[in-house]
Amino acid sequence: MTTNKVLTIEKISLDDAVKIAEKGTHCGMCRIDFLGTGLCPSGKKHGYLAYWPQGRMELVKHLKEGKIKPTEKLVEIANSCTLCGICDKQCNFATQLRPEKVARALKEYVNNLDKSEFQSVPEDDILIGLREIVGAEWATNDPIIITSYVRSIIPPDVELNFYIVMPENTEQVSKIIKFANKHNIPFLPRSGGTALSVASPTVLSNATNLEHGIVIDLLRLKKLEIHPESCTAIVGAGITSFELQKAAYKHKLRANVAEAGAHYCANIATTGVITTWGNRYGCLADNFIDLKIVDNDGNIKNHSDMDITNPYTTEHGFTNISLSPSYIVTEATAKLFPVFDDEEAILVPFDNLEDALDMVLKLGKRGVGLSVAVLSYKYLAEFICPTPKIAKDFEDICKNYLKLRYVVDVICDSDDKKIVEEMAEYTIDQTMMKTLILGSPKLASLKDSEFMKILSEEENPLRAIFAGPMRKHFEKGLDASPEQLAKVYDKDLQDFFKKVYSKPEMTDVVWLHAFRILPSRLMRQQMTMGPGGAIWAGDKNHILKWVDMFAEVGNKYNLEHALGFVSPLDNGKFIYIEYDYFYDHNDPDVANRISKTLLETTEKSLAMGGVFTLINYLFKGIYRKEHVLYPLLKGLTKEEQTVFREVLQSVLGEYEQW
Amino acid sequence: MVKFLSEEWIEHGKNYMLEKLDPEKDLKNLTTSLLGVIEHVPPNDTTMNFYLELRDGKLSDFKVNTGDTFEGKEAIFVIRGNYGTYKDILEGKIGTAMALLRNRLKLKGSKMEALKIIKPLDGMIESLRKITDEFEE
Repeated sequence: MTTNKVLTIEKISLDDAVKIAEKGTHCGMCRIDFLGTGLCPSGKKHGYLAYWPQGRMELVKHLKEGKIKPTEKLVEIANSCTLCGICDKQCNFATQLRPEKVARALKEYVNNLDKSEFQSVPEDDILIGLREIVGAEWATNDPIIITSYVRSIIPPDVELNFYIVMPENTEQVSKIIKFANKHNIPFLPRSGGTALSVASPTVLSNATNLEHGIVIDLLRLKKLEIHPESCTAIVGAGITSFELQKAAYKHKLRANVAEAGAHYCANIATTGVITTWGNRYGCLADNFIDLKIVDNDGNIKNHSDMDITNPYTTEHGFTNISLSPSYIVTEATAKLFPVFDDEEAILVPFDNLEDALDMVLKLGKRGVGLSVAVLSYKYLAEFICPTPKIAKDFEDICKNYLKLRYVVDVICDSDDKKIVEEMAEYTIDQTMMKTLILGSPKLASLKDSEFMKILSEEENPLRAIFAGPMRKHFEKGLDASPEQLAKVYDKDLQDFFKKVYSKPEMTDVVWLHAFRILPSRLMRQQMTMGPGGAIWAGDKNHILKWVDMFAEVGNKYNLEHALGFVSPLDNGKFIYIEYDYFYDHNDPDVANRISKTLLETTEKSLAMGGVFTLINYLFKGIYRKEHVLYPLLKGLTKEEQTVFREVLQSVLGEYEQW
Repeated sequence: MVKFLSEEWIEHGKNYMLEKLDPEKDLKNLTTSLLGVIEHVPPNDTTMNFYLELRDGKLSDFKVNTGDTFEGKEAIFVIRGNYGTYKDILEGKIGTAMALLRNRLKLKGSKMEALKIIKPLDGMIESLRKITDEFEE
């Protein structure tokens, strides 16, 4: 039997473990050392996802459902966990989950298994061939390991007809591809897996995941060199944004990176690193000097090679949709930028989007600031609040009492700070942000309080709280300290989090923007789908109309939704917008509505014209922005709209079924 | 049911498409041609191709050949992929459009024009799927 063994020692049954595991979203934060705890020893040693906390979470779900039978590997995976507790700290910061309980349940489950019922996994010719390339340890067809990749490259509910292979360098990637082609086996590279995980509950699952074949897990490509003299970094495909940024910061340099757990090379290959720093640092092919790539025939090339067709160009039109990378980027020579001594964060609160947008458009065109964005109250709340409940109450306070619907969020030097201050009536400075971060539990607890009611009756609550006489009382009343904040965590983790929040960087808004450890909270115990794309910055009404369209579709499908961020690109000529929909990834009904929302908003965006949608953005990161974005598409004709729909139907199935 | 790329496959395919596909409804009265190049054909890792031509929605030519060109035939669209990809398409594991968008099939010719005929193409592939049940291993 493979299901429902009851655990006794820790009183954690497999059922309870599954309840925890179901809330996991493959955010991947357990694979980076962002809190100074070190890394999961098991994952670090063995590499395969099954040995990391996130993989174990996927594994227990399948064991419970009886979808897989135990193999010898399951014992090794369970026993490889030392119960060191690192994962609980990391996961709790990001998602409030306790993956160590899952590991304990797995150990108990394995201890109670009848070893005679283990299935054997014979080595076949394909596996032998792959092992000859990467070594015996780094290629497997064991279903237990394969299962851990479900929902982050393998679609749910397919036969586990896969091989997982972990090459160590570009040459091995090339050999794997040549081997796969010779044996007519499809393949797909995997890096952080977050984007694949976001697509997984939706109609995009089959479009972006691998239906069978070889998963090339790139985690072992760990080359990382910083070259301060040329302000560049050589970054292997296994290097995360966090790791790159940490190495760059040691030299007072900064990389333009995506979320902390995302792999830099994969980001280059997919969307070209979408950030709020794009107006200053660039986007798409601006991000790199050169790439080492492996094409679909297994040939190793450099982006700078003279004898290949211009690698920076891409065709135009809405049909230029790619659902997998043209090349596997195994190494990037990334551009780095100076970190200035006088950098600061300054936020300008607004009660409406139009005024916030006005300011960002001006800042973008004048080239003010290093990172510039409009954030919605939802983003602000999710980022700075330690738990979903506190974030929800914080949101209510922002929306209903403070009338704080948006902030223009700027990281800048002292000269640019003066410009922002001159443009704004009042601002939220670094000190106030620190107070909000550490005082968020207290602030959330003030929901429905007399204080908030009085504040909301002010003519301008934002001015009263951030620039008026109430500021001092507000700051004092929030009792903002690491000690207070730590109290929201489980008792056994409170000392740890007190120390974490005592570190200066954890309340340093510039550091938090650069290292991007907070966006993972958008995926805490729920999934986020963030369509959007680029739009001309010259027509404010067109931008507002686009945002309204996303909101209307969200309302139509009864989804929780909010603007994510709005950030200028290319000296303010474009605006990048992410609009977020939040949903329970375990609920097929809401996942279905998300699918409809994604496709409907894409079709409506293309019909509007003057935009470049996220679907079009996919796998364009290696091309120059001048080729990708100029000119933005005109609205689709009726005939083109029909073609678009027919292609989607052909790829994803009948519209009505979505 | 026949083996992919065999003479019987051509015959059955021709007959099936002529009998079952309506030139107007299913094939939109299309006039076009397609060369499908199949690489890494087992057991000897060879390259083969099939040429398919439609006139006013009616199948006018359907042939199989070795190599990656069909002498005397200049197709409007050329799609190229490995045997495994064609097998996956004919087994219904992946659609033609999906294979194109995922770079598993490479297209020579206008992508816009190719995608315009994706519905009729799906119809033809569906026909071939119904008659194909054997592949080289």
